[in-house]
Amino acid sequence: MRFMMLMIPKGYETAAPGTMPPADAVAAMMKYNEALKNAGVLITLDGLHPPSMGARVSFAGGRPLVTDGPFTEAKEVLGGYWMIDVASRDEAIAWACKCPAGPNEVIEIRQVQEMADFPEDVQKAAAGFGGKGN
Amino acid sequence: MRFMVIVKASKDTEAGVMPSTEMLAAMGKFNEEMVKAGVMQAGEGLHPTSKGARVKYTGKPAVSHGPFAVTGDLVCGFWLIETGSLDEAIGWMKRAPFDGGAEIEIRQIFSAEDFGEALTPELREQEERLRAQASRK
Repeated sequence: MRFMMLMIPKGYETAAPGTMPPADAVAAMMKYNEALKNAGVLITLDGLHPPSMGARVSFAGGRPLVTDGPFTEAKEVLGGYWMIDVASRDEAIAWACKCPAGPNEVIEIRQVQEMADFPEDVQKAAAGFGGKGN
Repeated sequence: MRFMVIVKASKDTEAGVMPSTEMLAAMGKFNEEMVKAGVMQAGEGLHPTSKGARVKYTGKPAVSHGPFAVTGDLVCGFWLIETGSLDEAIGWMKRAPFDGGAEIEIRQIFSAEDFGEALTPELREQEERLRAQASRK
């Protein structure tokens, strides 16, 4: 089963453009990433620049509306993610518990939808959607 | 430049309501266009938070189980795309066949270059090895 571990760092919603994680935090995270890799569970991972460098597109009025970051109403934002392959949700939670995260950080664990999770008619209609592009 | 396009969860996605056949077909077509243009690297949907969990790190890791309140900050899916600029990424996403109420957030992904000298040659090598060896399943 594939799971996403979503890193949610409190305070990142107001981080200035160009904000970088501190070097010691990066070093500790690299060690953790190595452990995930050595256990054969790591599929991929990425870190995200602050929302102040991003944009939102909303489709509420029928026409796409673009808003530049930062997003003042956001209470929590993503700082990065890991995609892992483990046998169960409990195993995913156990991995998250090992993360050298700080007291301002939360990791949300979410199962990735696989085509096999959907009924056959949905699978047919969804051919090409949700699949891996690479 | 690589970007993560975060699709926001709604009451419907959290309730497990599946998109219509028309929506799925339109989304499939949009994805195909992005793949053909060499823009799309990955795209996935996530099960509702009712099947998920959160871990907090104040002291000992504390686990809480979903569902979590729909606040406008929850995620239900994502794309990874590569374009020449944020504007180009926005241009692609304006064409996404979403209907009323949907909202997406476009965020630039860190690359090794962003870390400058803090990422020593040793750390950079470790990072590259990690990415090369991470199991692609």
